[in-house]
Amino acid sequence: MIEIEKLEKTYRRGDGTPVTALRDVSFKIEAGEFVTVRGASGSGKSSLLNIIGCLDTPTSGTYRLVGEDVSGYSDEQRSHLRCRRIGFVFQSFNLLPRTTALENVEVPALYSGERVDERKAAALLERVGLAERGGHFVSELSGGEQQRVAIARALMNDPPLLLADEPTGNLDSAAGESIMHLLTELHAEGRTIIVVTHDEATAAHAGRELLIRDGIIAMDRLQVAASAQVPR
Amino acid sequence: MRIGRVIVLSLRTLARNPLRSLSMMLGVTIGIASLTAMASIGESTRQETLRQFKRMVGSYDVVNIVPGAASTRGMPSLTTVEPSLKFTDAAAIAAEIKGVRQVAEVQNAFDIDVKYREKATVSAIYGVSPNWLEMRDYFIESGEIISAEDNASLARVAVIGQDIVTGLFPDEDPLGKQVRIGNVPFLVKGVLVSRGAGPGGSSLDGIIFIPVLTASKRLFNRDFLTTITAQLDDPDRPEAVVEAISALLRERHGIVPPGEDDFTIANARANAEQIAEVGSTLGTVMTGVAVIAMIIGGTVIMSLMLIAVSERRREIGVRRAVGATRSDVMLQFLVEAATVSVLGGIAGIALGIGGATLAAMRQALPVALIWETIGIAVLVSVGIGLVFGLQPAWKAANIDPIDALRS
Ligand SMILES: Nc1ncnc2c1ncn2[C@@H]1O[C@H](COP(=O)(O)OP(=O)(O)OP(=O)(O)O)[C@@H](O)[C@H]1O
Ligand SMILES: [Mg+2]
Repeated sequence: MIEIEKLEKTYRRGDGTPVTALRDVSFKIEAGEFVTVRGASGSGKSSLLNIIGCLDTPTSGTYRLVGEDVSGYSDEQRSHLRCRRIGFVFQSFNLLPRTTALENVEVPALYSGERVDERKAAALLERVGLAERGGHFVSELSGGEQQRVAIARALMNDPPLLLADEPTGNLDSAAGESIMHLLTELHAEGRTIIVVTHDEATAAHAGRELLIRDGIIAMDRLQVAASAQVPR
Repeated sequence: MRIGRVIVLSLRTLARNPLRSLSMMLGVTIGIASLTAMASIGESTRQETLRQFKRMVGSYDVVNIVPGAASTRGMPSLTTVEPSLKFTDAAAIAAEIKGVRQVAEVQNAFDIDVKYREKATVSAIYGVSPNWLEMRDYFIESGEIISAEDNASLARVAVIGQDIVTGLFPDEDPLGKQVRIGNVPFLVKGVLVSRGAGPGGSSLDGIIFIPVLTASKRLFNRDFLTTITAQLDDPDRPEAVVEAISALLRERHGIVPPGEDDFTIANARANAEQIAEVGSTLGTVMTGVAVIAMIIGGTVIMSLMLIAVSERRREIGVRRAVGATRSDVMLQFLVEAATVSVLGGIAGIALGIGGATLAAMRQALPVALIWETIGIAVLVSVGIGLVFGLQPAWKAANIDPIDALRS
């Protein structure tokens, strides 16, 4: 599903000095895998996830998504990929304020070119355990509930790939644990999932762990997690 | 994104920020309100001017021939015109020009002293041929109109307007009384129905009619006319007749082009339209004021939208992350600006029409509802939204999603 080769990402600071966030990164992720990306702050996890999620483009190297080399895609082409192939979950939930849970889930459907299916959005809310909360405004929901809404939103256009950047980072451990549990279930339903995380406990849910240090893949290991099987 | 969805989304966003939305609408509302009100009042005034003019000239199916080259300023009178038009000219036009139904002769002067016993007033004196009153829709309230007999016999009879009745006969029946016009005694034979106000609001009732031959031979001692009025068979196509009359008069007066004509032919309807146009030119100036108000309104929309874009960076980032293209974001903000502007415009139309109706009612004018203006007002408000929403929308579309999403 994902083939990354000799990927490099260099940012330019405001004063023009270059910062290399990723260097010579190469790996593959097969469809159906559940992968965590772990590493210290500033090691390049978000940079990598943003490129995988087609929010950003690599400075050099190639990135193939489902067989397509998307490294040179235009902004518009990447927008279409994000719309149909990728679901994003963020640390700070990033729900639209002054908007109901249901409306938030529907947002990706606005851009898919298809009719907005309200029943599907409601079903997704039910799937993440918020059947009763569709009409609630975001501000009336707890952090854990907001993150569930965000996950339902990420699933709205049925993307094969689900990306989460520290999805439990802003939650207490119980809520965080239940979010990870939900992601594990979604993986079991056949989705490919990549989760960026700081901590090892979260990483333990996944079948594979990538460790990044200073922009380099320092370790790539399979693990037999309690709930995750590696379909290989 | 489907445009219907974008509009729904815009309405929802606007409804959830009511205060900001109202401030954005305000400028456009004021601009459109003044535009609509001014257009409506302007049209009311134009229609009223046409009506007043019609009251003055009686009907539009006539052309007036007056002495003198270029159109004389103001009304012709015995003291202001050259003595070029004769009774024989009138007779020749009546006899020789096809398309002329009848011809009336006028010899008039203004500010003539009129007395009845100790009471005195001044009046416009119109010596007219008997058909003139009828051609110009003058009606008799009491007594009789001037007859062909009166004219032929140089009878000293007068038909007086309501202002003369008020001035000389406040509590008497004027019929059968003798008034002195200049120093010549005349018998009051009839009283006219009031005509109200003419253009500019001046009274049309300070007037006395006497037979034109009496005027010429017994009062003014002048053998020339101040106006020849020709009624046309086909008032919609006066050009050929006007040309024929000109040719005839030139021939009779021995004028060979490029020599200057010693007469002017005025088309009553064309004059009326021209006068009404002056009114609407004033309207155009006032429309300029409305345009300035709307530019200010547009600028308000632009600056508030720019602030909103900064505040909604995260929303924009989210939309981009879940698949919105730059154009989707651009469209959303453009439609939002256009929607708020149109809502402001609709409020403005309602306000403007309300204001115009009140103004019309106070001046007892008819209310003119101009659909054309309403349509233009809607288009203009859409335009304001699109034009002034462009910069904010462009700014929104170019926000970097990663930047916007970083907490
Ligand atoms: N837009 C940018 N401009 C300049 N430097 C950047 C930019 N984005 C990231 N960096 C730098 O790239 C490096 C990697 O950043 P990245 O956000 O990928 O780290 P991270 O592993 O996600 O860290 P954290 O765990 O704190 O989120 C850091 O040194 C960061 O300062
Ligand atoms: Mg990060």
